[in-house]
Amino acid sequence: MKVVLPLRWLRGGALLALAAIVAVPLQAGGAGEAIYRHGILPSGAPLHAAREQGMRLEGEVAACVNCHRRSGLGMIEGHVSIPPVAGSYLFHPRAATGDDLDLPFVAGMRADRDPYTDDTLARAIRQGIGADGRPLDVLMPRYDLDDAQMAALIAYLKELSPGAVPGVTDSVLHFATIFTPDSDPVARQGVLNVLTRFFEDKNHFTRAQSPRLRSSRRLRFKVNRHWELHVWQLEGAPETWDAQLRAFLHAQPVFAVISGLGGRTWEPVHHFCEAEELPCLFPNVDLPVDNERDFDTVYFSKGVLLEAELIAHALRAADAGPGPHRLVQVYRSNDVGAAAAARLRAALGQEEGWHVDDVGLAATGTHAALRSAVAEAHAGDVLVLWLRPADIAALGPVPAGVHAVYMSGRMGGLDDTPLPEAWRASTHMAYPFDMPAHRTVQVDYPLGWFRIRQIPVVAQQVQADTYLACIILSDTLNHMVDTFVRDYLVERIEEMLEHRILTGYYPRLALAPNQSFASKGGYIVHFSPGGGKQVVADGEWITP
Amino acid sequence: MTERDPNSTQGRIVMRDANWIRAMAMLAAAMLVSVAGVRAESADEHMPAAPRAREPAVTSTSVQYVVPDVTLVRQDGKSVSLPHEMNDGRPVVLNFIFTTCGSICPLMSQVLGQFQRKLGAESQHVHLMSISIDPEEDTPPRLREYASQFGAGPGWNHYTGTLTASQQAQRAFDVYRGDKMSHTPVTLLRAAPGQPWLRLDGFVTPDQLLMHYRHLTGAR
Repeated sequence: MKVVLPLRWLRGGALLALAAIVAVPLQAGGAGEAIYRHGILPSGAPLHAAREQGMRLEGEVAACVNCHRRSGLGMIEGHVSIPPVAGSYLFHPRAATGDDLDLPFVAGMRADRDPYTDDTLARAIRQGIGADGRPLDVLMPRYDLDDAQMAALIAYLKELSPGAVPGVTDSVLHFATIFTPDSDPVARQGVLNVLTRFFEDKNHFTRAQSPRLRSSRRLRFKVNRHWELHVWQLEGAPETWDAQLRAFLHAQPVFAVISGLGGRTWEPVHHFCEAEELPCLFPNVDLPVDNERDFDTVYFSKGVLLEAELIAHALRAADAGPGPHRLVQVYRSNDVGAAAAARLRAALGQEEGWHVDDVGLAATGTHAALRSAVAEAHAGDVLVLWLRPADIAALGPVPAGVHAVYMSGRMGGLDDTPLPEAWRASTHMAYPFDMPAHRTVQVDYPLGWFRIRQIPVVAQQVQADTYLACIILSDTLNHMVDTFVRDYLVERIEEMLEHRILTGYYPRLALAPNQSFASKGGYIVHFSPGGGKQVVADGEWITP
Repeated sequence: MTERDPNSTQGRIVMRDANWIRAMAMLAAAMLVSVAGVRAESADEHMPAAPRAREPAVTSTSVQYVVPDVTLVRQDGKSVSLPHEMNDGRPVVLNFIFTTCGSICPLMSQVLGQFQRKLGAESQHVHLMSISIDPEEDTPPRLREYASQFGAGPGWNHYTGTLTASQQAQRAFDVYRGDKMSHTPVTLLRAAPGQPWLRLDGFVTPDQLLMHYRHLTGAR
């Protein structure tokens, strides 16, 4: 884009108005947003910036979002405080302390600074000179932006200012939880029981009866808001979910989606949250959407996709000698095992000497069909079972001479899998959780909480994860004080999660920008000899 | 302890405010004393400051570290011994990064890249080492992608491994800060095995790094 206008003559509003006409329509979401989030100029060319001594930045790595985050509220990294750049934090009048500012608290905010003007802000972005005339931190690059591009960016920063957030009122925080129609009805009730009771407890302890405390100019008090849970129960085919979700959100805006339960696919929900920029926190799903560039949904783990990667890792590590080796995968075509099988096939496809045969069973296939599918594995082959407990219980004889059997722990029921006795000696299970002995103390806490509140444990891991999701949300909101900004909620979880000591079924949880899966690994386990449910790790924790 | 009953945090917030009120009272009492100081400071703020290249605050110290005997995984997927990698006879420049880091690491890596280019042909004889502090996320393919983003030449290796191995390495060089978001920029130089390390805390520039490197290896 060439703007052949004497833009430098123009100032303030005139410039902004012109930028709005010239630049904004060129990029979906606005020219300023494209610069800020993606490092892309309205022409489609990459954003350019420089640091001292000829160090140049270009495109995505130069984008403001890397440091100032999508919320524009900045972050703290080590001793480095990245200040908020959302407009109200730049243009506020000078104040003696942060408490004099009528702005939601964020860690890097500065009160005792002259307000930026459009001109001094442009100078800061181009030349790295702050409102007070001093050089900015070495981390801040100097950007090559022409006047129109600068105006678009500044207009965007002004838009970023925290304002009214849908789902947040003076007295209520609205949350939704989402259940897909194909989610397991028993587990669904288990999840709902945990959520309902957590919200009840939360509200019981907020001093709803006492006079509400309000923020004032001099004193910053946290307003105790009532938490309200809305259950979004989807119906029908996945193609129709998006419209249903939009209708739910329209009828009752929510601040975030918490937990929930999926079945064969979560994809429409994931994309809905991404499109609406609605935080979707730790849904219980076997098959998440594996795109770490997406921002709004964070998962506990990569589910069955992680299991596929764990099995691929184990097969590589086993080093079965020169191939060809044959691997037979059995799954129901309508279940999440199909995607897991595809992931394992892709992972082994990069290896020499592996031949993978997939046997997809129809949704309604009989046990006879299941047994003949399993019998596709011959002597020396590796057999992988992506099957639910009902199918696992109905397995026939172990194929003669089969080299090894792997099964999905998440799908097959983990320690409680009904795997027939004859299979136990030769079967390894992908186990993307901490070992039972290690997690006892961790899981005792939610189990005690369930017991005291008489919540039946019907799906222990899913319910423990639900409780953990609630605790993470609650802790994060407490740290956010009253800065209710959806992006900021996700960012604070990304930054704080690693500090958690109680992490439920997982040995450790950690996120960061561009990370969507909090637990990164798992074990491959086998069954202890002599029967019983006890599983034993084949080796160390694997992060494939 | 991060697990809390939902009610206890409310108390914590109020406590913060109570502290704040106390602090305000103390501040009021100290007002007479502090006014002069505050005024002096704000006067300084309004001084017309000529824009100048900011001199980053870097502190350098000479420290003896014991290189821990841990196994790391290099960006090419090979398992390697850290002492073996470090003691190949070349001078070593070491830092700690993670690939999804937004602010600190990209600058540190850019500085290392620029430093390597400034060395020119000599870069073959200097071993640049970057160890991930987020090894569970930073797989070898991710490290390769990250390295190429910063134009890493042949003498620059990136390492991952188990969480324990990475933390042992971080502890040995006193850069472990409990979690990756609390990390601080540190660059370590050593002229040869057995020699002390030069520890640079803060953001060094490529030229500063080159100067320290020349000084260290020249004095060998």
